[in-house]
Amino acid sequence: MLDGLKDIIRKSSIHVCLVNTGGCNGCDIEIVALLSPRYDLEQYGIYVHNNPREADVILVTGAIAEQWRDKLQRIYAKTPEPKIVVAIGNCPLTGDVFNQEGGNVHAPASDFIPVDAEVSGCPPRPSEILEAILTVAPGAIAARGRQKL
Amino acid sequence: MILPIGPVHPGLKEPLRLKLKTRGEKVLSAEIDYGYIHRGIERVMEGKTWQKGIFLAERVCGICSYIHTQTFAEVFEKIAGETVTLRAQYLRVLTNELDRIQSHLLANSTYFKAMEHETLFMYMLGLREPVMDAIELLTGNRVNMGWNVVGGVKMDIKQVHMDSIMLIMDKFESEYGRYVEMFESGPLVGLRSHDVGKMTRDEALMARAVGPIGRASGLKHDVREQHHTYRDHMDFKVVWRKEGDNFARTMNRFDEITESISLIRQVIENLPPGEIRKKIEIPAGVAEYRNEAPRGEVTYSVETNGNLIKNISIRTPSIMNIDACAKYMLNDVATVSDAVATYATSDPCIACTERVIILDESGRHLDFHGVHNINSKLKG
Repeated sequence: MLDGLKDIIRKSSIHVCLVNTGGCNGCDIEIVALLSPRYDLEQYGIYVHNNPREADVILVTGAIAEQWRDKLQRIYAKTPEPKIVVAIGNCPLTGDVFNQEGGNVHAPASDFIPVDAEVSGCPPRPSEILEAILTVAPGAIAARGRQKL
Repeated sequence: MILPIGPVHPGLKEPLRLKLKTRGEKVLSAEIDYGYIHRGIERVMEGKTWQKGIFLAERVCGICSYIHTQTFAEVFEKIAGETVTLRAQYLRVLTNELDRIQSHLLANSTYFKAMEHETLFMYMLGLREPVMDAIELLTGNRVNMGWNVVGGVKMDIKQVHMDSIMLIMDKFESEYGRYVEMFESGPLVGLRSHDVGKMTRDEALMARAVGPIGRASGLKHDVREQHHTYRDHMDFKVVWRKEGDNFARTMNRFDEITESISLIRQVIENLPPGEIRKKIEIPAGVAEYRNEAPRGEVTYSVETNGNLIKNISIRTPSIMNIDACAKYMLNDVATVSDAVATYATSDPCIACTERVIILDESGRHLDFHGVHNINSKLKG
């Protein structure tokens, strides 16, 4: 019964932390656009507040610049269980245009932390980001929570 | 006491470390560390053709991505000694001004969020979405538009698109004045904004502040005045103010949006017929070109052998503005939350700033203090 109650609560209250690990900002402003009245992220119970210590979902954008190789793992460790990671945009998947000779990036993000969902696009549309979070987040968080118990 | 903020923090959208030196609640001074988003974009561009380079130039910054491609294309046109057709020039102005509107709205919304005025934050983002629709109508994309090429623009505009953009602008203008008035005459937002984070004209000159941040402190400097399309065919006035506080910077952006709307109307009413793209033969050469990005002056200097880019140097406005914020605006600010709001009003774009990274011989990272960083304790 406790599990069921936790599932319901976790589904309607998803806290999101946005980590830009070296992208062009395009994906970040599309996530900010999600807050706008047109998309209205908060009607789904999703709150973007950029605090890893109380986040359920980590949104990773960017192509893992040099400084983030250890810092990304530290942020992942700081986030309490159950947690999921969504990689937004082409950068954390492949490094996009920066992953060429001379570029100082270490994509993909899945080399450093486990990634649950990936949204491709440069940048993906806000509706696609929202769809990805809503598809994967409530179920996966609830499943992770039960594993722990 | 030193209060560190960032790189991942509820107050910041982008990674950057803000060190505030505080006594009690009062912020005495601030220092800023960069180096979290360096990707080596200039190095990647070397040895590539312009067809590949223009996509990299677009991804220098996601918010003002349009002006980077325009400047990149125009520097190659300068090397070739040619100008694009008048229709292409007009279309570039149209997209540039649409991009400026969405960028200024985003900057102001970030400021309202930083000073915890959620209502205006939502209004600004709500206003921004129709402008993003107009950009999407024109270019097919919301953020990275892929619209400029050396020699013109990729797609022509149709009458139906012009009508839609005019409709969007009419609706935008009818709602827009109300929100500006809300900010300008609102007692609470005014109290939080007036005389906070003040920067005088001399300080702005010393910090090389550009764009709305410099203009709000009395530096009447807008590169659009020197751009040939704006100079010869457009009618606009440079918006500037004297106060140099948070209120002035925010109002400066609001007033520039009004100017941008008038420029968009001028373009759509006077759009000349003709070709949108022409073939340009690029010789070997070197050139520099400046343009007014939403945040200020952006400079590209390119050396090419006619086919490949030999060397490229990009100077973006944010680096000067963020330094100006750390050195001059965050002096004796009353509270920490005011300091964060002041930082937000300098319109920081970290993705723009990260050009250089310093390594020692073994490839290990040194503490990054910037090359011309005026906060730097290092000499030379």
